Amino acid sequence: MMEHRKLKASTVIVHLLLIVLVLINLFPLYWMMTFSLKDNDEIFGGYLKDDAGTIIYDEDGQKIPVERNMIGLPRNWRWINYNRALNTGNMGRYFLNSLVVSVMAILLTLLAAFMATYAMTRMVWKGRKMMNKFFMLGLTIPIHAALVPVFLILSRLKLLDTYTALIVPYAAFSLSMGILISIGFMGDIPYDLDEAAFLDGCNEWGTFGRVILPLMMPATATVGIYTFLQCWNELLFATIFVSKGEFVTLPVGVKQLVGQHTTDWGPVGAALAIATIPTMIVYILLSRRIQEGFIAGAVKG
Amino acid sequence: MKRALTYRLSIIAFLLPALILFVGILIAPIIMSVIYSMHDFKAISGADMNYVGFKNYVELFSREMVNEKGAFFTNVNYMGDALVNALILGALSVFIQLPLALLIALKLSKGIRGERAYLSIFFMPVLISTVIIGQLWKNIYEPDGLLNNALGALGVKDQLFSWISSHIYSTKMPFKGAWTGYKETALIAAFIPILWQYVGYHMLLMYAGIKGVPTDLLEAAQLDGCTEGQVNRHIIIPYIKPILRVCVIFAVTGSLKSFDLIYTLMNDTRRAELPSTLMYKLTFLNNRYGLGSAIAVVLIILCFAFALLISLAFKDRGEKVA
Amino acid sequence: MKKFLAVILAAIMLLSVVSVAAADEKTVLTMWCIATESDANRPAYEQAIAEFEAAHPDIEIKWEAFENQSYKTKIKTAMSDPSTLPDIFFTWAGAFCGDFVEQGNVYCLNDAYKAYADQLPEVMMQNASYGENGDHYAVPLTMNIVTLFANMDLLAKAGWDHVPTTYEDLIACCDALVAAGIIPFGCAGSETWCVTEYLEPIIEKTIGYEALNAIFAGKATWNDPAIAKAVDVFQEMIVKGYFDPDGLSLGNDQVKANFIAGKTAFYQNGSWNCGEVNDAEGNFQVALFPVMDAEKATYGQVIGGPSDSLAVAATSANPELAAMAAFELGRGICHYGYLAGSGLPAWTPDYDTSAVKPLVADVAKIVAESEGMVLFGDTAMSADPANIYLNYVSQVYGCEIDGAGFVEGLTNTLQ
Repeated sequence: MMEHRKLKASTVIVHLLLIVLVLINLFPLYWMMTFSLKDNDEIFGGYLKDDAGTIIYDEDGQKIPVERNMIGLPRNWRWINYNRALNTGNMGRYFLNSLVVSVMAILLTLLAAFMATYAMTRMVWKGRKMMNKFFMLGLTIPIHAALVPVFLILSRLKLLDTYTALIVPYAAFSLSMGILISIGFMGDIPYDLDEAAFLDGCNEWGTFGRVILPLMMPATATVGIYTFLQCWNELLFATIFVSKGEFVTLPVGVKQLVGQHTTDWGPVGAALAIATIPTMIVYILLSRRIQEGFIAGAVKG
Repeated sequence: MKRALTYRLSIIAFLLPALILFVGILIAPIIMSVIYSMHDFKAISGADMNYVGFKNYVELFSREMVNEKGAFFTNVNYMGDALVNALILGALSVFIQLPLALLIALKLSKGIRGERAYLSIFFMPVLISTVIIGQLWKNIYEPDGLLNNALGALGVKDQLFSWISSHIYSTKMPFKGAWTGYKETALIAAFIPILWQYVGYHMLLMYAGIKGVPTDLLEAAQLDGCTEGQVNRHIIIPYIKPILRVCVIFAVTGSLKSFDLIYTLMNDTRRAELPSTLMYKLTFLNNRYGLGSAIAVVLIILCFAFALLISLAFKDRGEKVA
Repeated sequence: MKKFLAVILAAIMLLSVVSVAAADEKTVLTMWCIATESDANRPAYEQAIAEFEAAHPDIEIKWEAFENQSYKTKIKTAMSDPSTLPDIFFTWAGAFCGDFVEQGNVYCLNDAYKAYADQLPEVMMQNASYGENGDHYAVPLTMNIVTLFANMDLLAKAGWDHVPTTYEDLIACCDALVAAGIIPFGCAGSETWCVTEYLEPIIEKTIGYEALNAIFAGKATWNDPAIAKAVDVFQEMIVKGYFDPDGLSLGNDQVKANFIAGKTAFYQNGSWNCGEVNDAEGNFQVALFPVMDAEKATYGQVIGGPSDSLAVAATSANPELAAMAAFELGRGICHYGYLAGSGLPAWTPDYDTSAVKPLVADVAKIVAESEGMVLFGDTAMSADPANIYLNYVSQVYGCEIDGAGFVEGLTNTLQ
């Protein structure tokens, strides 16, 4: 009885702490949503304007001051920000481009990482440890350092201004992380299974395809998410390797709303919201998959 | 004999996609960077490339330099401070951010109510673009921003400001709440959002690892009467060691490479310089491409050295436990 | 999962089909610029391009706009393989463009210029002219100068009916404003380029435009006690509370909004703000920074000049056509940008200028009467010295170095 009550009290405290953390972590999202519905006058302080940006005067012919409103709900909900982001910015197309690039980069990363991991953990050869360390080198390269060399390589291969110009570098930069995660997951798969498959007449490719790959589903989600993070918000490569509008990705598209000397921050916020919300939804859906994948893996193990 | 050959061929085939990507996009640039770092450039194009040996490296690590007339001057391209900043960030990341992430991951993986919701929410900051995070924290740190208003409401603003003023050495200007305007405060101000944004990142990795611990192991421990703390310490943490190693490596190398948030948070990164922001500046603003490449090479060597050291540290302890 | 993949693959195929649009007879000229969606110059670009394409039905302009900061990285990287350059690209004049010219990546515009010499004074081409012969390499669009914006209502509250023109006046005016509880100046101390908008005029009005031009051109060193004194005066004004004490961590958007909302009496920044300040419908005037040392400088000396330009890539398949297009577009962008108030004309207006916004017209008059001009320091100097200079400037606003330190550091580093 005593034990039970004690447990309950600690659970409440844990939940309270977690909820504080939840609020801290949800705040940026709330802030982004309110930001996306304000205009510059509300963000920085100024005078009341209509949706077209013309100053509104009161009956006495005075301008109506707008106080700065940093965290409150918008006083005037400027839905026109979303119209402007969608219409002037061509966000739909950019979104599709980002999706294509990210998904292809994830698939490429998964394929390369799983195959390499299989060769390094489940096949016996001299130097496989060295090879692993070699791949670890990838974690150490700052993306900005590689910019000019990768640009030169891509331009020699005539790959600039294609989806490939982004897919290949993104996959390459995600590869080391992919291998690292995969090694952890593949290590959990019992080696007996390989032997059983071998006795059943499978060669390495059969074992990889029929035994290992299905058991690597949980890793797929994890590697997928980490690769996605690498690609979805990436700005530098996306700006430099692609110049044609039809291949522009979201982060570059969002930046196109920022001016040299003046910027309407509302539409920028709206564009960022458009870029972020679907990501959130996909993530929530995927996070379910991870857990299910885990349970499946545990049952089979 | 034939079997051995096909085995070898399939090893190569299995490695091939990864190797092509890796060598083509990552290793080739490293080699190019090493070559570039030994040259002086007039422009990125490589017109007028002059071989200068290790001169760029010497310049990076000289706090003071001498000009042709023999006068000493402060080297504005000095990398030492930026490197120290990055190491501080790395240490904060390993000793504050990771334990916090581990704590949350342990709690969440125990089947607490609303586990999935918590998990999803804690990871959200990672998904939000750094542009938004940067803008938000800009507003937090502004003189009339959220932080100063909160301090004012708590009634500690004036005392805190005068205390900070007495500890500012880079200028005689008194501190009036411009958090990103002073070298001393800018560094801390820049690090907090970086650490905060990636707690969820590490948490997800650790959570994934903990969920992979075989349930029979945990059940057996519970039958033996182990407390939650004991299970954590003796079963879960040793089990997820590979994941922890990855997290530590990532925290340290990530800190050395950290760029995005500082770049969006500060208009002028000088007050919270990190090696990567210095590299970006020297390469794309100063057109000192050789010098920028030298930073890249130093960073790559350091990251790799740290990754090896961390791996070794984890290995040693693993053997002792066994 | 398979369905999802199928959808993605279908999408890719669809996109690639769409991308291969039917090629027609038109000559396509590609262009990169920084006129992004919310840039003040965007409408001017759109109008100029539409006008050009209507006048030249056989030419199509395919243009892409990139954000300012990322564009600098993009164009510099593209120079490492000139074959990746578009036909026409935006560049800043001065050393920024000069580097590209030196690499041989820019097409010389001497021949193409001849047809436009009567509309575009040669002096406007000077910032993008290089070599012994002063060959022309870029077409200026608008030009801009550093302008002192003043809120006359706030000045009136402090008992002033005009913008000060001398150092003594300035101090008296600022003291009166501070006494009336009004902050005189707003400056984004966290953005170095905004600090130069104050520092460069102060130095110019102390040592004179010729001396400053010589320093920026590398013909003289920074070693001048008058410069140290100018920096000290600037810092003295900051410490005395003439500047918004929050300035050190404010961004330019906020500082400008504060000025327009009547929180500071003055705001000194580029003349590209004229349109926006004008449209805020307040009692605003434009002026120049007061004279600090009347023996060496006059009131009419300004900082600025034509910098935003279009250049033609040497690798262009149709360089002559692209050069013609660059001039035509430059003239159009200048025309519509001037009318919108996002800049002053580098080209001589041959159209009705009665619709020009009053504040813009006032600045245009100031430029017409200017008694000497110094191009913005970070544009005039080549990349490395420019950024060392900016590094030192960024230490000025927060008083991390004093005038002597500023002069000594720059002299020894850039000697």
